[in-house]
Amino acid sequence: MMQAVAASSSGREVFPYPIDVRDFGNGLKLVGVRFDSPGLVAYYSVVRVGSRHEVEKGRTGFAHFFEHMMFRGTESYPEDRYNEVLRAMGADSNAYTSVDRTVYHILASSRALATIVEIESDRFQNLKYSKEQFQKEAGAVLGEYNKSAVNPFTGLFEKLQGAAYDVHPYKHTTIGFLEDIQAMPTMYEYSIEFFRRFYRPEYVTLLVVGDYDWASLSELVERHYGGWVRGGHVVDIPQEPPQSAPRDASVQWPAPTLPLLALAYKGPAFSTESADMPGLDVLSQVHFGETSPLYQSLVIEKQWVDFISAGATDQADPPLFTILTRVREPERLEEVRKAILEEVERIAKELPDEKKLEATKSHMKYDFLLRTDTADSVANTMAHYLSLTNDPTTVNKVYALYDGVSAGDVRALAQKYLGTENRTSVTLVQAPGVGGQE
Amino acid sequence: MVLLASLSLGADRDPVILQSPGNPLVSFRFVLHVGSAFDPPGKEGLAALTALMLSQGATEELSLTEVMEALYPMAADFSAQPDKEVTTFLGRAHRDHLEPYYSVFRDRLQRPRFDAQDFERNKNELLNYLTKSLPSADDEELGKKSLEWQLYSGHPDHPYRHPVQGTVAGVRSLTLDDVKAFYREHYTIENLQIGIAGDLPEGFADRVVEDFEKALPSGSASAPTLPKPASGKGLEVTVVEKPTAGTTAISLGIPLEISRGDEDFYPLLVANTYLGDHRTFNGVLMNELRAKRGLNYGDYSYIEAFRQDGGSTFALPNVPRRQQMFTVWIRPVAPENAHFALRGAIFYLRRLVDRGMTAEELQAMREYLTSYSKLWVQSLDRRLGYQLDSRFYGTGFYIDEIENRLATMTVDDVNRAVKKHLDRWDFRVAMVASNAPNLASAVEENRRSPATYQTSGASEEVLAEDREIENLVLPIDSVRVVPVAESFQK
Repeated sequence: MMQAVAASSSGREVFPYPIDVRDFGNGLKLVGVRFDSPGLVAYYSVVRVGSRHEVEKGRTGFAHFFEHMMFRGTESYPEDRYNEVLRAMGADSNAYTSVDRTVYHILASSRALATIVEIESDRFQNLKYSKEQFQKEAGAVLGEYNKSAVNPFTGLFEKLQGAAYDVHPYKHTTIGFLEDIQAMPTMYEYSIEFFRRFYRPEYVTLLVVGDYDWASLSELVERHYGGWVRGGHVVDIPQEPPQSAPRDASVQWPAPTLPLLALAYKGPAFSTESADMPGLDVLSQVHFGETSPLYQSLVIEKQWVDFISAGATDQADPPLFTILTRVREPERLEEVRKAILEEVERIAKELPDEKKLEATKSHMKYDFLLRTDTADSVANTMAHYLSLTNDPTTVNKVYALYDGVSAGDVRALAQKYLGTENRTSVTLVQAPGVGGQE
Repeated sequence: MVLLASLSLGADRDPVILQSPGNPLVSFRFVLHVGSAFDPPGKEGLAALTALMLSQGATEELSLTEVMEALYPMAADFSAQPDKEVTTFLGRAHRDHLEPYYSVFRDRLQRPRFDAQDFERNKNELLNYLTKSLPSADDEELGKKSLEWQLYSGHPDHPYRHPVQGTVAGVRSLTLDDVKAFYREHYTIENLQIGIAGDLPEGFADRVVEDFEKALPSGSASAPTLPKPASGKGLEVTVVEKPTAGTTAISLGIPLEISRGDEDFYPLLVANTYLGDHRTFNGVLMNELRAKRGLNYGDYSYIEAFRQDGGSTFALPNVPRRQQMFTVWIRPVAPENAHFALRGAIFYLRRLVDRGMTAEELQAMREYLTSYSKLWVQSLDRRLGYQLDSRFYGTGFYIDEIENRLATMTVDDVNRAVKKHLDRWDFRVAMVASNAPNLASAVEENRRSPATYQTSGASEEVLAEDREIENLVLPIDSVRVVPVAESFQK
């Protein structure tokens, strides 16, 4: 049952910390990363469930809502007691949900590790809450939606995802459709079913980063999670058919705003088998990063836009490679669009500058190193890759793929993915008659 | 692990150098003792624009494009964090690039070009923030800035009143000559506090200090005098009328006469953690308003200016102020619950003032804060930030101060500090709402305001408290409605 690997890595790899791994018979995986943070550990429970799994009508936003319910207690540790335990250890604790995952994280003293394993294993196996608690939490989630709803980027992304996807659950944002959030108080029974389906060991990886003793950690996890029963629920996630024609959508925003423009192309799903996704990451930096000709022209010289960025997030199913910008003078919206589309055409024809390509690879490597300077930031990065592949060596594979991207690859990827038929463009502009300030 | 070396630059502006052997990253935090409180009247936004000209502008040698290209392969950061009293320039790079990075960092601070094209872009950035983003895209920030505006209005107005980004008229009036003059006057060696942390080569820190001593002029610009913020007779309420607000954002506060250098600050820190710890379920407000009632996403309180560090729950360091405020942040609620939520926050604050904390509650907060505050300095960069703040307040290292002072604190200390500083009714309140006139008159007339719950099923205990809250009589001094388009104009 036990399979321990100490996959210490060589100096060339970007992620230099020693990794411990143990797979349990029930499908649970435990990953440890030995990081120099004396007396401190980050404890992450990575659940490979997100809004991508919300395939049933009326259930959008449920993975995120359920994340909230996980803080509502068990018989052994009712919510007040659970909070007291975290408080006594002086922990920083929270959770987040995205399209592909739900991540629960605690940062605390290494001395508290045994207690953390106890309370976390308890809530993952024995969560119990009343209908009243459930309904009050629905109010908090609606409040969370509302606080972001005034932001025009929220409106833009809701429209973009809705327009770009027909059948895949990426059609909705992680927080879900407003009407589904409003109906959440009626879904108590469904929430119990949701827990039964997804909060199972085969969906979960435990990640501990920092100052720990592997033998005792491993034993603790076995003792507390060993009896957790595998579930076996599998979701049939409808796959999006290839797009065959460009799509356009627009939003009239009811409050003052500068125009926003998104040009989005369906990209490749995350994989370490193919270099397409890493190649597009490089492409986005070379051609749309701060030192790219387009950025320099539109942001610095002409000042038609106040920022421009491009990229796709690593996702289990094909994500959107999105070029995003905010236009300073509303009447220039079409000129900006034209300039971007001309650049997209150009990069499908011309090879990028070799020096820029090398500088980009250096940028990506050092950006990674600058972002992983604490136990918590290392854990956050590792959680990202574990949610996609459940393999702790993924991070080094991805950075090795970055190293191999050639100028020809960048051009080929532009040809392969940034075609007109694969594009969804969305504009968001201030609605006529909105009393804005000039 | 971390050695603290001190070099002499005079007075309380001695550099803070944290030597951390083996650390691959180097952090620079250069604190200029100049911020928006130094903006000349009519030129609000000048400190922020000057900071932008350094952080997003050319140097004498390099255009902004060339600066960006130089930093790009290093993925190194350089940014400005302006606030009311100080502006902090933050730099972070890998040790592999220390020398080339430092030369760019140094030139950006010492030899800015003040290029006209950069000026147009940066000025527009501030104007767009004040005319498009702030009034439109973030009602919570709008509420907080409206609260500060109100808290610091008076005769004369307090230098903390306007947003760090300025006012619309103030920014419009700014010229490149204003920026150059402001830089000459305030970016002096006396106003600079140097902070560097990392595995620094021998002699590096001394060289940096010498570089800046040589390059920056000497000056004697003193900090503006801060008037004592006015106290009031009762609640002063501003309802910012925003027709598109689907929910109501609420902030309230009172000026606070103490800060980290004062004895009473620490018992008040404990009481505030108990009342409204930021984004945790330790606080009474969070448990009562969110967990038990589902009114919104969160409810917190603060005893000093607070800016969250990215997506974390921690505060950004280097936002120090000579004068502080006690504030409550009620995240957006349904419009029909706005009046109830306002009363609810004050109800639970009053309960703390009237009943105080128990010895057990103090003990729980002591355990929590003593360990939790250690997490605030988990990276060397944040530790450096907190060290610099401790210099500003003239205290020992803040995290140690918390541990030491909490160790001997009694519940009487806490309850006495609460009575002394929070037993007040003259809250300034800012609410961002679409139904402004209705809300304003309901508040003014102290109309009964029962909560409307989306679902039934609150406990008897909660419902009994609800009846007290919905009838709580608030002493109202003034209520006014301000259209959002009139906010932060001048």
